[in-house]
Order: sequence, then C-alpha cells, then structure tokens
Amino acid sequence: MSKLSYLEVKNISIELGEFKLKDINLKVKKGDYLTIIGPTGSGKSILLETIAGFYKPKLGKIYLAGEDITNLPPEKRKMSIVYQDYMLFPHMTAFENIAYGLKKKIKSKEEIEKRIKEICEILNITHILKRNVKTLSGGEQQRVALARALVIEPEVLLLDEPFSALDVKTKENLRNLVKKAVKEYGTTVIHITHDFEDVWSLADRVAVMKGGGILQEGSVEEIFYKPSVNFVAEFVGTNVLKGEVIGKDENGLTLIKVGDTVVKSVDMGNGDVLISIRPEDVVVFYGEKRCKVKNIRRRGEVVEITLDLGGETLRSLLTPNMLKTLNVEDEVSISVDPNSVRIIKSLKQKISYKN
Amino acid sequence: MEKFKAFCIFLSFLFTFLLFMSILSLFLVPNPSEIISSLKTEEMIYSLKLSIATSLASTVLVILFSIPVGYALSRHDFIGKSIVKSILDLPMAFPELVLGLALLLLFGQSFIGKFLESFGIKIVFTKIGIVIAQFFTALPYAVRVIYSTFEGINPRYEFVSRSLGYGELETFFRISLPLAKNGLFASTIITFARCMGAFGAVLILAGGSYMNTEILPITLYLNISYGNLGMAITSGILLIIISFIAILIFEKFEGVNSSNFKKVESIRN
Repeated sequence: MSKLSYLEVKNISIELGEFKLKDINLKVKKGDYLTIIGPTGSGKSILLETIAGFYKPKLGKIYLAGEDITNLPPEKRKMSIVYQDYMLFPHMTAFENIAYGLKKKIKSKEEIEKRIKEICEILNITHILKRNVKTLSGGEQQRVALARALVIEPEVLLLDEPFSALDVKTKENLRNLVKKAVKEYGTTVIHITHDFEDVWSLADRVAVMKGGGILQEGSVEEIFYKPSVNFVAEFVGTNVLKGEVIGKDENGLTLIKVGDTVVKSVDMGNGDVLISIRPEDVVVFYGEKRCKVKNIRRRGEVVEITLDLGGETLRSLLTPNMLKTLNVEDEVSISVDPNSVRIIKSLKQKISYKN
Repeated sequence: MEKFKAFCIFLSFLFTFLLFMSILSLFLVPNPSEIISSLKTEEMIYSLKLSIATSLASTVLVILFSIPVGYALSRHDFIGKSIVKSILDLPMAFPELVLGLALLLLFGQSFIGKFLESFGIKIVFTKIGIVIAQFFTALPYAVRVIYSTFEGINPRYEFVSRSLGYGELETFFRISLPLAKNGLFASTIITFARCMGAFGAVLILAGGSYMNTEILPITLYLNISYGNLGMAITSGILLIIISFIAILIFEKFEGVNSSNFKKVESIRN
C-alpha cells in the first residue's frame, strides 16, 4: 500500500440481494474529500456501508492507514456515518444524540460538554441542544446528525446523500457548514450524492459508479471535462463530440472542426478526436449562422438548448432572459473558451457518423 | 346510498349487536348475589390466583424468548430461517387441543420428559405444565409482533450506533430495545391475554384437575360440566374483565403507536 492512500478499498466484491458490488478499487488520501456519484441502484450506499463495516465483503480487502480492517467490526473502525434521513435516535434529545459517541470515548463530563460546545458553534445548533429531535426541522436534524458524526473526530466521515431531503437554501447553508467543519477537523470524507452542486462546492475527487462498479475516478476537473466513458459524460451532462484537428492558430491553440463549426482547444491532438465541452461553457450568440436550434427545454433556473452543429449535437445551458428572442429552428453561432474544450481521445481511423 | 355499501354497513352493525348482546347476557342473565357468592368460593379464588400467577410467569418467559427470536428473524439471514419462521407460526393455525396433545407426548413420553424428570421436574399434570402450555400457545403471537416491530425499525439506527463505537450487544440494549418499546409493550399485553385464555393445551398437558391445575378457563369448563352455571358464568365474567382491561391498556397506547396496533390486528385476523 502506498503511503499516499489513507483509505484503500481493494478488489471489493459483495452481493446483497438485488445489489452487488464487483471488484471495487478506491484510494483516498488523508484529508481528501471524495464524492461518489452515480444513478440510483448503482451500489453507492452499499459501498459506503461496506467501508463502514456493516457488510462483510465476499472478496477483497479494506485498509485504513495501512492496517487491514476488512474483518474489524464497525465500532472499531473509527468511521462515522450520516444518512439522508438523519437517523437521529428518537428517544434522545439533540444533546444526547451528539454526546452518544463521545460518551463511549471519553469519561470526563466537562470534556464531553466542551467538545459538543465546539462542534455546535461551528454548525450553529447550540440553541436547539435541549430539544426533542422529533421537533427539529430537516436542516436542524441534519446538523445534529453531522455534529454527532464529527464530534468523535472520525478517521473517515461517510456521508450518504446527506442533503437530498433538504430545500435548496438549507442545502447551500449546510454545504458551507460541512466545508467549515471538515476543514476545522481535517476529516477525510467520502460523500455520496447525485447533486453536482455537492461535487463542485465540496469535492477534491469524484468517483462515478454504475451497476456496482466504479467507471471513473479522478479530480472534479477530470470527471467533468475528460469523462472516460460515454456513460460518465452522459451522467455528468458533458457534451462529447467527434471532431477533426485541422491545425493550429497563431496562439498555438488546436483548431478542431466539429460539424460546420470550428472550436479552439488548449489540448494537443491530431486527426480525428473526441472532445468534451461542458454545456455551461457554451456561449450562444447571433452571428454567422452555423448551428440550428433543435430543442429548448426549461430546467429549473436554467434553460437547456440543443444545437445541431451539422451532424454533431451540442447541449448548452442559458439563462431564461437570453431566450426571449430565441426560437426552435433559429440559426445561431457558438463560442467556447479554448480552456473548456478538452480532447479526451484520439481516434486512430476515420470514424463514420452513425446518425 | 349504494345498496352494497348499505348491506355491508348493515352486516357490521348486526354482528356488533349480536356480539355485544352475548357479552351483555353474560352479565345480565345470572343473579348478582350468585355471582358474588361464586366469587367468594375457595375454588374461584384459587383459580383466579393460579391464572394470574401462571400467566405472569409464562408472559415473562415468552417475552424473554421472543425478543431474541424476533430480533434474529428480522435482522439476520441464516440457514433454515424460513423453516424456523413457518414452524413458529404453526401453533397459530393449530387447534390448541392438538398442541396440548403434542406437548403431552413430548414431555410425557419422550426422552426430554424423562430427562427433566431425572432432575425432579415434572411437567405433565402439574402447574409447571400450565406454564409450558401457555408458553407454547402464546409464543408465536409474541414472536410475530416483536418480529414486525423490529422490521419497522430501520437497521441504520443500529449502524449509526455501531459506527459511534458501540458493540452489538450495547447497541441492542441502548438503541434497538428502546426503539422497540411500544411493540414490546403491545406483545406483552397480547401475550398475557393469550395466556389467561389458554385452555385446550392447558387441559391436555396440565390435566385441569380441581383445585390443583385449575385456571379460570378450566373452572368455566369444569363447572359447566357439573351443571354449575353460576360458577361457570363468574369465571367467564372474570376472563372478560381481564381481557377488557388488556384491550383498554392496549388502546390507550394505540394512539402512541398505531402502526404496531395495526400489525397486531393483522396478525390476529
């Protein structure tokens, strides 16, 4: 095991009824914040609970700080877990919930109170400590659950879609609190989510799961700009387009012809290539008419438009006010920052367009 | 109103009326002074005391057994689990008399009976036999209620407790049991009521002998066979009152946890 990986999951396979994990490998450095994303049923929660020790893997090993913990019971692993539905003990007050794990660790009452005070100040829940947990709002309950998990200063903090049940504003607030608390305690975190906001605002690294396996693992940048497989691209919403390198411009940027349009990229390449472009990086304007608007769809606060670049389809995210004059079948022009156009793969032979 | 709806409602009222009248007649038919004098007989006092004592003992035993059994069935997968579940459910569909007969053969004829007897423990035709018969009659019900109670508790509470440093046993006592409190209470009441009313199995295994293994249902049975209606009705009234109190306690807590009540109802039906 390398010194760099603090938590290492090696070839883990497990079967639990309908769910299974196959040959999972994962390395997390100390202090890293890893998010795991993937569709429902991809085995994310099982992976987390296997790391926590609630399920015994059929094959494979788990190491923490170089020590094989595969057969260690959960209470000896020094990992704590926070679930989407809080799982606060209903027969205890907020304070008792937070103190639960600490009481096992330290005997001194003053010390327990001191530590609880610290974490509650960070998470801003000092005023609700005496309350019955059933009377707390979702956001408050989740902050108590986070306090309960963080106060024991776990080696690894496991978060299973912790913000999914909360409204947008509470989510934002909690993300900031988690960021602050994790930084304060230097905690290593594995966070399961299907909300990309979590990934962008919290994560250092991302793993994408599907069907019980990890498809790609890397930095946030890598996952979103250089998705290795079509599924990852589709799941994270990145455009993956086929293009042809036609040369370089005066600044040394690679010129890539995609359909009828030419985009510039900071990456090097030649011949036929696959490139990725994030939909939010595409700027749409009325200029030379090269792209046709195929579809306009409202998605919450933004609008997704689908453009036909002459054979290749590109999705772009716009704000609604840009749309007032835009209609389906209109012809527009696009521009993308060369930093946002990434060459993912060189295609050796000429590819034939399927559609 | 639609005719079918009206018919169904009419039937519910008709049935409730008949049931109510039959219970009422238990209180109205006999002469009150006869009931009072029956209550004061040595036999009735003996029977009532023995009923309560044996039922309490069997309830404690049943609950002590069914908590781990219900927990294991709900939380763990093991080889033979479905067989264990089916066999545990059997006595609910079994005629009580047959259960009694089976127990009589087990404790009377088999090596288990002889083994216990070598320690001086006699089960057949004794008070211990009453407890054993009540235990086997009530256990399946208690296991079912406790099983569905644990099924209703998200195992993630236990996961969280484990991850916070508490072992399996500590987690069970600090988290699982307190969360199952209402279901445990419900099953205790059901168990006690079942034990008080257990008749067939008790009659066969413990013999139902006068002033020895005589519990309230036996008193009712013995006196009706002698033609002693006053004594029979009195023991009937006592049994009704006890189950009524049980239901009252049950209903009182129903508001606290109606889901458990529904579970119990569905099991009883």
